[in-house]
Amino acid sequence: MSLIERYGMARLGAPSDLWHRTRRALRQHWPYYLMVLPVVAYFVLFLFWPTLQGLIISFQKWGLMGPQGWVGFENYEKVFSDRTVLRALRNTLVISAGITVLGVFLPILPALALIEITPQKARQGFQTVIYAPYLMSWVIIVGLWLNTLSPIGLVNSALLGLGVIDQPIPFLTSRLWGQPLVIGLTTWKDIGFLALIYYAALMSLDQEILDAASLDGAGPSAKIRHIILPHLAPVMRVVFFLTLLGSLRTFDSALLLMNGRTADTVRTLAVFTYERGILRFDLGFASAAGVLLLGISLAFLALSRLLPGVRGGIG
Amino acid sequence: MLGSRAFTGLSWAFLIALSLTMVIPVLGVFATAFSSKLASMQPGVRLWPDEPSLEGFATLFRRFQFWRPFLNTAYVVVVGTVLHVALCALAGYALAQEDLPGRNIFAGIILVTLTIPTQTIMVPLFVVFRDLGLLNTLFSLIVAELVSAFSILLLKSYFEQIPKEILESARLDGAGPLTLFWRIAVPLARPGLITITAFNVVWKYNIFVEALIFINDPDKVTLQVALQSVVGGEGSTSTNDIITPNVMMAGVVVALVPLLLFFAPLQRFLTRGTMMGAVK
Repeated sequence: MSLIERYGMARLGAPSDLWHRTRRALRQHWPYYLMVLPVVAYFVLFLFWPTLQGLIISFQKWGLMGPQGWVGFENYEKVFSDRTVLRALRNTLVISAGITVLGVFLPILPALALIEITPQKARQGFQTVIYAPYLMSWVIIVGLWLNTLSPIGLVNSALLGLGVIDQPIPFLTSRLWGQPLVIGLTTWKDIGFLALIYYAALMSLDQEILDAASLDGAGPSAKIRHIILPHLAPVMRVVFFLTLLGSLRTFDSALLLMNGRTADTVRTLAVFTYERGILRFDLGFASAAGVLLLGISLAFLALSRLLPGVRGGIG
Repeated sequence: MLGSRAFTGLSWAFLIALSLTMVIPVLGVFATAFSSKLASMQPGVRLWPDEPSLEGFATLFRRFQFWRPFLNTAYVVVVGTVLHVALCALAGYALAQEDLPGRNIFAGIILVTLTIPTQTIMVPLFVVFRDLGLLNTLFSLIVAELVSAFSILLLKSYFEQIPKEILESARLDGAGPLTLFWRIAVPLARPGLITITAFNVVWKYNIFVEALIFINDPDKVTLQVALQSVVGGEGSTSTNDIITPNVMMAGVVVALVPLLLFFAPLQRFLTRGTMMGAVK
């Protein structure tokens, strides 16, 4: 058989072989495929298709009734020259950096503290209390802190009473406090959740290693630095991904803390997309901003996969 | 663990301080909510109601008809969670079959979904929902997050822990795939199913962005959006009609209490789910 013939056979053979295998698999396992089908269909219809459509819309001009034709890169040119978008991009990156740094390191403290205390009941009690805000909606969280941080609220009243300040601090209505508040409240909301991840990792640490270190004369700080932190390193990577990808899509917190005074500093790209696309119905422009945000997320994901020692962050 | 008494003392102090940042704001909200209208407008460190009264709650239910968002949210929570858990359990079970050809392709598709944040596709999602006639329906909130990679993967790992022999012997007795799933796998994966159910009830209860985007019919307003309009003071029509702090915080209390009541008994499943999801 000549090479060409063999190559031809192989080429003809491959698809029909695949076809046969698929048919056999379907005949044998069809109930299982039927079980996955709704999920796959859902993702195609409500995730992959909208993503593709977002890309398409970003190259179009849209009116109230639908697309009004292609405009090339016009929307993107607008995105990169619009002051509000660039400001939102900067806010997103600053807020995301803050949330990620604090989110990776701070929750280690309660995790370590939880491991240190006995009895078990006390551990569970603290776990429950610090985990609770993670389950609260952002509307409730902002309500809680609105009451606490308002000019007549607890914090300002206490500070005034102690003579630390002589004017209430306008935490919720100042340019200065906008970003720290978004970052701080996010960190506070998630700290119990992230601490639990670190706590689970610490539970798998062998106590004997720590005991052996004690015999060698290692103090608490040496143990933390040389045993505990290295043990937590892989989990820190996971938390890094979780908080980075989560914080890039900051929406609820920013939207709810946004007002006339804070808009310029807390408006994130996600919030901008909502305002421009849903409220003002400028779909082309908003989609381009959405694609930009998606691009940034994917770029960070790809970039972090290139880092040595980092394999798949999520999942 | 570290064997240092000073460190243990520090740990207690830190955990108590951190817990207080959670407990004090909640106490403060209750105190304001149960204070009278005038007392709630006075500055001060308030951890107990001043001039205890139910004015705030009365105003909340009279002026904002706060029961309607509750009914709407209850519908979304119940129907949405049942469908979510059912669909994710079926998919998780199928993907737990080690001999299923193409299993990796499906697992890959599900992993890819984790890389696309919904917030970036808000606009096209709005267009898709509009084209499907889902706008302004409570059903749109059930469709949003109808399935999620997190739930599928968590349930898959629960199904994988079921000993193969149990499933195999039932198969030899003539049980079909659906019987195996329903009679054997589901009862054995119960902790996982409870975890996913608990998480979903919370997520659906908290649904906000989607409700903001897909619904603007006042009859179909859900809890978080209604609460936002109270807390954000959007209901006030004139300056002598401002929404006072006691009304706002009554709203927060009314939304917070069901969540806390739900959280107490299911806390174990939620925290375990978090730890399992992380270790995966």
